[in-house]
Amino acid sequence: MSQTIKLEVVTPERPVFSSDVAEVQFPTASRGYYGILPGHTPLMSEVGDGLLYYIQDGQKHWLTVFGGFAEVGPDRVTILARESETVDMIDLERAEASKQRALQLLKEAQTEHDMAAAQAKLDASLIRLQAAGHPGGHGF
Amino acid sequence: MAGFQDIRRRIRSVKNTQQVTKAMKMISAVKLRKSQERLVSLRPYASKMMEVVQRVVGRIQGDSEIQPGPAAQAFLSPREEKRIRLVVVASDKGLCGGFNANVLKAASAFVAERGAEIVHLDVVGKRAAEWAKKHGLNPAGEYLGIAMPGFQRVVTEICQGANAQYHADEIDALYVIYNYFNSAVAQTPTVFRVFPMELDPRNASREATEVSHLLEPDPNSVLETLLPRFVETELLRNLLESSASEHGARMAAMDKASNNAGEMIAKLTLTMNKLRQASITNQIIEIVSGANA
Repeated sequence: MSQTIKLEVVTPERPVFSSDVAEVQFPTASRGYYGILPGHTPLMSEVGDGLLYYIQDGQKHWLTVFGGFAEVGPDRVTILARESETVDMIDLERAEASKQRALQLLKEAQTEHDMAAAQAKLDASLIRLQAAGHPGGHGF
Repeated sequence: MAGFQDIRRRIRSVKNTQQVTKAMKMISAVKLRKSQERLVSLRPYASKMMEVVQRVVGRIQGDSEIQPGPAAQAFLSPREEKRIRLVVVASDKGLCGGFNANVLKAASAFVAERGAEIVHLDVVGKRAAEWAKKHGLNPAGEYLGIAMPGFQRVVTEICQGANAQYHADEIDALYVIYNYFNSAVAQTPTVFRVFPMELDPRNASREATEVSHLLEPDPNSVLETLLPRFVETELLRNLLESSASEHGARMAAMDKASNNAGEMIAKLTLTMNKLRQASITNQIIEIVSGANA
């Protein structure tokens, strides 16, 4: 049994990450987080919006993921994300601005649809800010 | 000298044409780069998606405990192909070598083989629409003048339509005929069956010893979101392949045209110079013989 997992994160826009890691944890849409260690049983799951972390060389690293699918095998985790970013790719100022705008939109929202859209925007910006704010991320 | 003037006029006109073809080549090069970038960044996602779907579907097929829902059926149990939805992807404009001719030839062969009456046709690009008209086919969907930002809309429309039709038993399969992008100068007309999926037998056998996948939250809800997403990704990839191929083909065609124009100019210039020399020689002879007399 190998001691590492090959983690691959791809989006329609670009391949985001591909490397051997010791541990992965990713968010699901409805069932909290999955923590994956080498030798995990084959699993296929939906992926929710949130933060994914992996451990490489004893260090925790963070990625954002927004929806998609994960396929887990004994020695691999493949994430087909709708969107995903590494911490370096996050523009802190833009995320902050987007958060303010979402808050504004949330206040002005008239219909339920507007409300949901603004909430989704707010959640996305909060996830990005949180990722950037983690140790190992920049800005803090 | 009438011949002399004619040649000069021709050289000028060939030069003008050459300028046009050179400009078109450069425009195509820019467009090619854009399409290619988008394609190259989508391909890893598409191939990973394909891999995962193959694996999961292959495993489920061998597992009698899982009862696949309607969405999964399309992939798992191919029906006899009595009605086919076919998407033919060509370009809006010509001047791109064999790009349209090749893909439309493949489409003609496909329609002839399966029978025009069972094919439910969608055409992308004016050339494909013209082709359909010429062959007396009546496309249900026409997508003309679509540029890259519009691809997503086309994809969503066709996928939703095909999905609904499949469940209503109106079609049994979805095919796409497009130009596969090998490189900027090489395209291959390709017939691709999006669903039911052609399972790679290696996937089933290679992992047969492994335990079956756990599917969370439950098998059908995963498959019902994964499979349509897969179809959309493949269709989008096909459109991008075709778009990159088109610009590549046009760039190659225009490069050839510019070279040919260059050759023609060289030839004409040579003829013109010969003519001019001949006329000068003639005049000298006339003067010399006049002086002698």
